Amino acid sequence: MSDWLSIVPLLLVATSGLFIMLADAFSKEKAELALVTAVSLGTAGLVAVGLLASGSALPPLPEVLGSYLAVDELSLFFDFVICLGGALSALVAGGYLREHELERGELYVLIVLATFGAMVLARSTDLLTLFLGLETMSLSVYAMIAFRRTSARAVEGAMKYFLLGSFAAAILLFGGALLYAATGHTDFAGIGAKIGSGEVEPVLVLVGMLMVLAGLAFKVGAVPFHMWTPDAYEGAMTPVTGFMSVAVKAAAFAVFVRILVVALPGEEVASMTSGWPPVLIFLSVLSMVYGNVAAVAQKSVKRMLAYSSIAHAGYILLGLAAASVVGEPAISGVLFYLLAYTVSNILAFGSLVMIGSRGKEAVDYDDLAGVGRRHPYVALPFIIGVLSLMGFPPTAGFFGKYYVFNAAVQAGGGFVWLAVIGLLASAVGAYYYLRVVVVMLMKSPAEGQVVAVPMKSGYVASALAMSGAAVMVFGLLPSWALDLAISAAQKLIG
Amino acid sequence: MLSAYLPVFLMLLVATLVALGMFTATSLAGPKKPTPEKLLPYESGSNTTGASHLRQSVKFYLTAISFVVFDIEAAFIYPWAALFRDLGWVGFVAMVIFLAVLAITLVYEWKKGALEWER
Repeated sequence: MSDWLSIVPLLLVATSGLFIMLADAFSKEKAELALVTAVSLGTAGLVAVGLLASGSALPPLPEVLGSYLAVDELSLFFDFVICLGGALSALVAGGYLREHELERGELYVLIVLATFGAMVLARSTDLLTLFLGLETMSLSVYAMIAFRRTSARAVEGAMKYFLLGSFAAAILLFGGALLYAATGHTDFAGIGAKIGSGEVEPVLVLVGMLMVLAGLAFKVGAVPFHMWTPDAYEGAMTPVTGFMSVAVKAAAFAVFVRILVVALPGEEVASMTSGWPPVLIFLSVLSMVYGNVAAVAQKSVKRMLAYSSIAHAGYILLGLAAASVVGEPAISGVLFYLLAYTVSNILAFGSLVMIGSRGKEAVDYDDLAGVGRRHPYVALPFIIGVLSLMGFPPTAGFFGKYYVFNAAVQAGGGFVWLAVIGLLASAVGAYYYLRVVVVMLMKSPAEGQVVAVPMKSGYVASALAMSGAAVMVFGLLPSWALDLAISAAQKLIG
Repeated sequence: MLSAYLPVFLMLLVATLVALGMFTATSLAGPKKPTPEKLLPYESGSNTTGASHLRQSVKFYLTAISFVVFDIEAAFIYPWAALFRDLGWVGFVAMVIFLAVLAITLVYEWKKGALEWER
């Protein structure tokens, strides 16, 4: 039985998904489902981190699954990140649904199933499991966005995401088919070995690679594949937006890392003259610049966070591109960035949920005016969250940005300029993040303005406390998490 | 090599031009005397009734999606049954897990009332 040890987190999530489904069908009290969901996802995450920290050798999977799912530190690291994001989102959702009288249990089932899909995606070592995980995750997320089915915005966002997402999945599938046609393999290692041997048609490989990258770039919301992001993020309920921006993004980046390192190494596909690094640089620069500039112009705080998530995808892509030169430091930087981004983003979205009670939801900057003076305990987590997203020391976000930009500088050459562009773009980002702080602390509400009233919810408060503590701990003591990230990256590169 | 296809290409071109030319010629040369009767939507000789966009009950969707889900279940069982002996206990356990998952979804559907037509 010990063969299954390394996918215990995955199995835990799968069984708890089925259990929560039954519990939803048979129970009247839906708020407790949030707790059950958070506890089961949290347990899975802790098991993953326990396996990771114990450092013991992981037994290989039975042959049925062996070539489809990875057994390595990278997947355990992402199990942890994704489960953490899912568990905290479920807690926030528990408070949100009750406050807004939307209490139905389906959301928790969907959160668990989407988390499961994301974990499979992050673990996939074969184009088949990649697609399976991607679709399990995406279908659940489409339904989660449309959860507020009477809201035209929610349905619009879900529809847009669904249609564009299906196209992206089709493009990814076609790219995978071309890679298969060129190499005769569907497993990443086989594709990588065949490309390395040089006995392949380069055009097929390059076109297939571009299509796969386009499909994945859509999922992470990188410019120019970002069109769905603002509408889907704004239409979805805030806890769901939080989930999408952390778990979905982390899983997509996990498979991104794995494909680039395992399936597409070597001169022909991973150099500046031919291959993915220039593509990623192009996506990265566009995302960093466009995401930050567009976020400045937003009136709605939620939409601002949506655009800022595009910018963050750009920073992470910069790290991935630098991995083509420096390898391990860039990949571990990306891993740490994703962990820091997960806790900071949940903190920001959770605070946004906390500030809005029923009928008095905080949507625009003006709604936040005076919150800092009247409800300092709600303003504090929000401020920590946006400071961390901004990359202000000593928060987790600072070290995330530091490691990624540092890897770019280490890569040398043109990457130094990219790091400079990234720093300038984050300076633009400081404007809209600090605007939240300024409005909350210094502005008084306008005459006749509906003032946001914080909701009272233990679930949301505990989610904020946990993610806030994580932001500060990863910021003050980054070495523990960074060591895990470094060992995961080293094992992947081998 | 490609020149072998030239006649095919020419035929495609001629066919397209002939079709387009006929349509253009009729619409240019033909007489046009629209009367209210000619402009009516027409269905098998009788007048149309009601709007063309009917609202369907969402219940049909639920029934259809349940059919698809459980139909695919059956589709998976056939190849498994054909290879039952070769797959051995591993295959048996895998199928039991698969059916258990589907049974849970069936219970869920039932309990949520998706199988009741009148509610």
